[in-house]
Amino acid sequence: MSEAQKQVWKGAIPLQIHLHESEVTTLPPPPPALVLAPRIGYLPLLISLLKPQFSTTLPPGVDTIWFEYKGLPLKWYIPTGVLFDLLCVEPERPWNLTVHFRGYPSIVLLPCEGEDSVKWSFINSLKEAAYVINGNSKNVMNMSQTDQVELWGSVLNGNFETYRRVASKLKLGTFEDEYMENVSSVLVKSSQSTGDTDVTGQLKTGRIPVRLYLWTVNEEFDDFEDAPQIDNWDKVSYINRPVEIYKEDGKYFSLNDAVKRILPEFFLENSFVTDGDANINQSGEEGESSSDPGSCCNTLEIAEIKLVRIQGIEPILDIPFSWVVNNLMNPEYFLHMCVCLKVSKANAVQ
Amino acid sequence: MAKAGKSQEEIASEAIKHTLRALRKRHLLEEAAHAPAVLALSRPIVSQGSEWKEKEENLQVELQQCYKAQSRLSEQLVVEVAESRASKALLQEKENALADLQKELTELRDECSQLKVDLEEKIKSLEVIVSENSELKAQLEQMTIKANKAEAENKMLIDRWMLEKMKDAERLNEANALYEEMVEKLRASGLEQLARRQVDGIVRQSEEGAEFFLESNIPSICKYRLRAHEGGCASMLFEYNSSKLITGGQDRLVKMWDANTGSLSSTLQGCLGSVLDLTITHDNRSVIAASSSNNLYVWDVNSGRVRHTLTGHTDKVCAVDVSKISSRHVVSAAYDRTIKVWDLVKGYCTNTIIFHSNCNALSFSMDGQTIFSGHVDGNLRLWDIQSGKLLSEVAAHSLAVTSLSLSRNGNVVLTSGRDNLHNLFDVRSLEVCGTLKAMGNRVASNWSRSCISPDDNHVAAGSADGSVYIWSISKGDIVSTLKEHTSSVLCCRWSGIGKPLASADKNGIVCVWT
Repeated sequence: MSEAQKQVWKGAIPLQIHLHESEVTTLPPPPPALVLAPRIGYLPLLISLLKPQFSTTLPPGVDTIWFEYKGLPLKWYIPTGVLFDLLCVEPERPWNLTVHFRGYPSIVLLPCEGEDSVKWSFINSLKEAAYVINGNSKNVMNMSQTDQVELWGSVLNGNFETYRRVASKLKLGTFEDEYMENVSSVLVKSSQSTGDTDVTGQLKTGRIPVRLYLWTVNEEFDDFEDAPQIDNWDKVSYINRPVEIYKEDGKYFSLNDAVKRILPEFFLENSFVTDGDANINQSGEEGESSSDPGSCCNTLEIAEIKLVRIQGIEPILDIPFSWVVNNLMNPEYFLHMCVCLKVSKANAVQ
Repeated sequence: MAKAGKSQEEIASEAIKHTLRALRKRHLLEEAAHAPAVLALSRPIVSQGSEWKEKEENLQVELQQCYKAQSRLSEQLVVEVAESRASKALLQEKENALADLQKELTELRDECSQLKVDLEEKIKSLEVIVSENSELKAQLEQMTIKANKAEAENKMLIDRWMLEKMKDAERLNEANALYEEMVEKLRASGLEQLARRQVDGIVRQSEEGAEFFLESNIPSICKYRLRAHEGGCASMLFEYNSSKLITGGQDRLVKMWDANTGSLSSTLQGCLGSVLDLTITHDNRSVIAASSSNNLYVWDVNSGRVRHTLTGHTDKVCAVDVSKISSRHVVSAAYDRTIKVWDLVKGYCTNTIIFHSNCNALSFSMDGQTIFSGHVDGNLRLWDIQSGKLLSEVAAHSLAVTSLSLSRNGNVVLTSGRDNLHNLFDVRSLEVCGTLKAMGNRVASNWSRSCISPDDNHVAAGSADGSVYIWSISKGDIVSTLKEHTSSVLCCRWSGIGKPLASADKNGIVCVWT
C-alpha cells in the first residue's frame, strides 16, 4: 500500500526529446535531451530543462512549447504517464518525442501559457474529483492560498510526504483504511476481516472519479507489436464517469466489474449477475487454452477486453477495485485507466 | 461457502501481490534503468549551467569593463572631435596659406622668367661690352705708345725751350743795358722839357696836341664789321692819338688792326689764357694784357715778342692799367682780392694791396700817383700808389662796378655798374655830377667797359641787347643808338683823335663806327 503509492509517485519515464528540424538554425543540430519525466507530472513543465539546451539554436520569436509523438500532438493536460501508457502499446524506453517552440497547433491543442495553465488545470481536476466524491467542492474551495501553493509545489517537486499532509485536510481518502485492514486481515485473521468488511461497507458508500481512455480496434491481433497505431485523437474515447461500488455479500468489487460498469454499452450481459460470474470464469478459462469450446459462449458478448493499463502496469482483472483506487490514484484524485477493447465485426454491423 | 470465501480472498491478495511486483518491475525498467544515464548527462548540463553562470559573470565583468572603456573612448572621442575640428581649422588655414604661396610662387616664377630674359639680354650686352673692352685695350696700347713718343718729344722740346730762354735772358740783359742808357738820356731831355713847361705852362701843353685835335662827331654808320676773335672779345683799345685798334679775345690772341682800312696788321701770341683786359703805354711801345691764367703779359709792339711775364696773382687777372706819364708802373687787379703794382723796369711786383672786395676795374690818375678801383661791392675807391693806403671811397653803385673811365682832362671819372647806371664823379670831391641811363640799356657782364669821348662831352656804353648807346654829358640824354651787333656788347672804345668809335660783342665781332 504505502510502497505502492511511493512507487507511483517516484515513477518516471525516460524521454529522449529531439528538436524539430524546422527550428534548427545551427549546424550541426543540437543533440537530443535525455530527461526523466515524472509520470504524475505534465509535459510543459519540462521547459525549464529543455529551454537552456535548445535556446541557442532557436530562430527569433516567442517560445510556446509543445510536443508530438509520431506526428501526433500531445495533449499537455493529460499526465505524462497516461500519455505514455496510451500511445506506446509496446513500451519503448526511452520514449522518443519531438519538441516544438514555434507553430503551436491551436486547433488541435488547448493553449498553454506556462506553468500557471498547468497549475489551474490540476486545481480544476481536483475540484472535479472532490465533487464526485463528496457531492461538492467545498473542501477544495476552502483551501487556503498557502495550502494550494504547497500542494502544487509538492506535485511539482514529487514530494509525497508534503502532499499527503496537505491532502489529508481535504478529507477525500476514506477508503484507504477499509481495504488496508481487509488485506491485512486476510493474512492474519480470516474471520475477523470478513466482519470488518461488512461493517465498513455498510458505513461508507462512495463514488470514485475515473477517467477512462478507451481505444477500440476492429482487427484481431495476437501481439501488440502488430497493433495499429493511434495517429489521431479521434480513435481514442475519453470517458469521464464516476463508478459506484456495490457491496454484495461474500464478494468484492473487482477491476473487471468496474470496467464493465463504466462501459455498459459494450457489456449487455452485465445486467445478469449470474451471467457475469460465468463470464469471468470463462475468461479465465480462455486464458488457459485457446481451443476451449467456451468460445461458443463468447459469441454472446459484444466486446473483449484486450488490455487494461494503469500507472504503467497491467494488473490482473480480479484485483479489488478499492485497492486499485487507493494505491494507483493520481494526485488530483482521479484514476486514469487505459483500456483497449476488441470489438467484433458482427457487433459493428449491429 | 467458506471455501468460496477463502478462494476469493486468496485471489484478491494474489492479484495485489502481482500488482506490487508489476510496479517494482516497471520501476526497474524505467527509473532505475535510466536514472544513472540521465544523471550523468545532466551533470554536464548542471556543470555547464555553472559554467554558463561563470561565463555570465565573466561576461558581465567584461561588459562593465567594456562600458568603462566605452566611456573612456567617448571622452577620447570628444577630445579627438575637438582636435579634429581644430585640425580642420588649421588645415583650412594651411590651405589658404598654400593657395597664397602658390600664387606667390606663380608670380615669382614669372619674375624669374623675366629675370632670365633680362639676364640673357645682359649677357649679350656683356659680350658686346667685352668685345668693346678688348678693342679699347688695343686702342689703349696704341695710345700708350703714342704717349711715350709724345713724352720723349716733349722732353726734347723742353730742352730746346730752355736753350731759347737762356738766349732770351741774354737779350733781356742787353735790352736792360740799352734801356738804362736811354733812361739817362730821357732824364736829361725830361729836365729840359720840364723847364720849358714850367715856363710856358698851358701854352706848351696845348701846342703839344694841337696838331691832332679835332672836335668829336657822333658816329652813326658802321663802317667795318671785323670778325676779330673766336669766342668773345672782351677787351679792346686804340693806340694813343692814332687809328690803330688793339683787340684781345678768348682765343688767347691779341690782334692789331688798322681802323681806317679794317685790315689786320699783326697778331701778338704767347698768352696762355683768355685776354680779359688790355692797356698800352703812352709811348705806344708796350701792350700789356691781363690773362685768365693768373699772369700779365707785356709785348713789344714793334717786334711782337713778349718782354715780360708778370706772375704773382693766384687767380684770374681781370683789370690792368699803366701810368699815363711813364712806362714804368703797371697796376693789376685779380679775383684773389689783391691789387698789385708792378715795376716794368725791374720786372716784378713792388707793392700789393689786399682788400676783402674783389676789384673789377682799375684806372690810373693823370698824375700817376693815385689809383681808381671799382669793386664788386659797388664802391669806388682811391689808393696811394706808393704807400698802398686807401685814400677815399664812395658808394658809386648799388651793385658791382663794371667799368672805370677817366676823362681826358683828368677831372671826371665815369663809373658803370650792374644797376644799369653810368655815373660821373668829380675826381677831387668824389661827388656825382651826372647820371646817365636809358630804358633798354642793361649792363651785360661784370666787366662791361664804357668810355668817354676825347672831347669829354659824350659817353658811349654797350648794352645786353646788342645796342650801343651814346649820351650827351651836357644834356644828360641819349643822342644816338647804334644797332649792328647780334649779341651783348662787352666793350666800347673811342679813338683819341675823335673818330672812329669801336665796339666789341660776345661773339667776337668788332664794329667800327664813323
